[in-house]
Amino acid sequence: MSRPVYALLLGLVGAGIVHISILFLLPHFTERDAWSQLSQVSDFYTPTSITGTTSTTPLIRSVDPLFAAVACRFDLGDGVVHVQAPGRVPFWSMSVYDRNGQNIFSFNDRTSADGTVNFVVLTPEQTIQVRRQLPEEFVNSVFVETDIGEGIVLVRAFVPDQTWRAAIADFLSGVSCAPR
Amino acid sequence: MFRTLFLTLLVLVIALGGGAGSVWLALNASEGIGAVAIGGWTAFPDVGTRNADTYSKARFAREGGLALGRAEGIAFSAQRDSGGALLRRECTYTIEGSLPSARFWTLYAADEQKIVLPPTARRVPALHSLELLRTVDGAIKITIGAHPAPGNWLGLTGKGPMQLVLTLYDTPSATAARVLEIELPQVLRTGCDE
Repeated sequence: MSRPVYALLLGLVGAGIVHISILFLLPHFTERDAWSQLSQVSDFYTPTSITGTTSTTPLIRSVDPLFAAVACRFDLGDGVVHVQAPGRVPFWSMSVYDRNGQNIFSFNDRTSADGTVNFVVLTPEQTIQVRRQLPEEFVNSVFVETDIGEGIVLVRAFVPDQTWRAAIADFLSGVSCAPR
Repeated sequence: MFRTLFLTLLVLVIALGGGAGSVWLALNASEGIGAVAIGGWTAFPDVGTRNADTYSKARFAREGGLALGRAEGIAFSAQRDSGGALLRRECTYTIEGSLPSARFWTLYAADEQKIVLPPTARRVPALHSLELLRTVDGAIKITIGAHPAPGNWLGLTGKGPMQLVLTLYDTPSATAARVLEIELPQVLRTGCDE
């Protein structure tokens, strides 16, 4: 085999290796992911609005313009996370994401017990602990059992028109996200 | 000597350039691996979940978002009209047809980076199904363009390419198995400003 052909084949094999390496390394080295963007503006357990106003761009893209949303980062190593918000809105939904921003679990107002935001994120080991003696404040909570350590909780609320904006902002500012 | 050096360089250029270039192409393709295409609209039901394939995971990490969960909804985007031409902000489009069952849905125009386009003065940048006029048989007809139109109108400003994003909330269609069964409205081009 002539050397240029050999070099060409070697290059193509190398291209394949580079292709696969970039593909697998990209999620680990990106600085544009939701976790990195959130950690630049707020600490753990701080509910942060991720929707922009009319003059600012949203912190996290791909949020519907008719929605307002708050996100908070948590670490299950500190204990279980209790997320609640008083009040009712036309539609809300929540999701739990892992460190890489992948959706682990989601539900909306119709799948929760009484239509209000009240849920606890915990690991399987913490579930056993909590179930042994259920604290009073967890009685009406939805339990989200997951094996992630760090993660993000996101609560979205639908803003049907401008008259709702203040009410939705009130609702979302009432979201608490606290380790127990 | 120079021949060896040249061949080594050639190998490196092909490996690095070809490898990086092919990843870039694969991640920028709108109808990539893991996409579900329904009449011009595409969705990635698995993107942002642990079930996603490696390409979807890489694309998602690069775009930096938080995807809607299955219980929340599913987002479809359209880059082309029914004739196959790319959507442009200086053109006028009509969206006609029926939508799958969902509690409600929203429609907005975004740029190529999925950033919502600014609305026409004193209007919101999106429409939703709870404040929409419907035809007699319950179907929808929406005019999208820079010029005000009677009925349902989504105002556009500026020039350049755009995409339309249709998000269904609280819908049984959000699961990957059901998503192929649904029908979505057509995007028809009715004219362009020169």
